Amino acid sequence: MDIEVTQDSEISVFVLRGRLDAVSAPQLEDRIGLWFEQPGTRLIFNLEGLDYVSSAGLRVFLTSAKKMKTRDGKLCMAGLRPNVKEVFTISGFITLIPAYDTLGAAKDAIR
Amino acid sequence: MLIKKMSARIDSLHELLAFLANLAKKNGFSKDTQNRIELVAEEVLVNVFSHAYKDASGEVEVRCFDPDGSSLTFEIRDAGVSFNPLERIEPDVKAGLDERRVGGMGVLLIRRMADAVAYRREGNTNILTLTFANR
Repeated sequence: MDIEVTQDSEISVFVLRGRLDAVSAPQLEDRIGLWFEQPGTRLIFNLEGLDYVSSAGLRVFLTSAKKMKTRDGKLCMAGLRPNVKEVFTISGFITLIPAYDTLGAAKDAIR
Repeated sequence: MLIKKMSARIDSLHELLAFLANLAKKNGFSKDTQNRIELVAEEVLVNVFSHAYKDASGEVEVRCFDPDGSSLTFEIRDAGVSFNPLERIEPDVKAGLDERRVGGMGVLLIRRMADAVAYRREGNTNILTLTFANR
C-alpha cells in the first residue's frame, strides 16, 4: 500500500492506494499515529485508489475516528470503490465516518 | 483437489490469498467474487496466525475443491488449539462511536461475505469450510 499525505490549508489528506490488509495496516497505524502527535483537527482519507480493505484496516479507521472525536475534530472519507464501501457498510462504519463521493465534496463538508 | 500448506504466520498471507484468487480467476469467477474470497480468507487466516499456535510455530493448509463453475469451496485447516471463529460474538454494528469496540469485525465479514461457512474439529485439526457462489 502507498500512503501519501497532502495538506490543503487546515485539511490533511491521507491518500491511500493499493491494499489495506493485515500486512499493511501497521504501516498506516504508524503514519496516522505520527499525524495525531500534531494538533490538526481536519483529516480526510482519500480512498479513490484503494482496491481492498479488511478488518485490520477497519480497525485503524475506527481508532482514528475515536481519537479525532476526543479532540473535537472532523474526519471523513472520499471516493470509496464499491467493494470497499461494502466492507464499511457491513461493519456499520459507514454511519460512524462520513463518506463522500469526491474529495471536493469531502473538503467542503469539513472545512 | 489442490492443496497449499504454509507456515501459519503473517508472511504467508499474500501467497495463500494469491493461490485462491488465481484459482477463482482461472475458473471464470467474477472480480467481485474473487474479492470476497480474498477478504474472507484473510480474516480466517489472520485468526489462525494469531490464535492457533500461541507462541509456537505451526502450519496452515488451504484445500480447494474442484470448482463447478457456479461455486468455489475450500477448507482452511490448522492443527492448533480448538477454535471455532463462528462462536465469537458479533459486534453491535449499530453502536455509536463511543460504544463501538475495536475488534470482532473479522467474523462479521466472514459470515456476511461467504455464501456458506461451517466449522468442524477432526482429531486435532480445526477445519473451516467456505463456499462462494459466482456472482
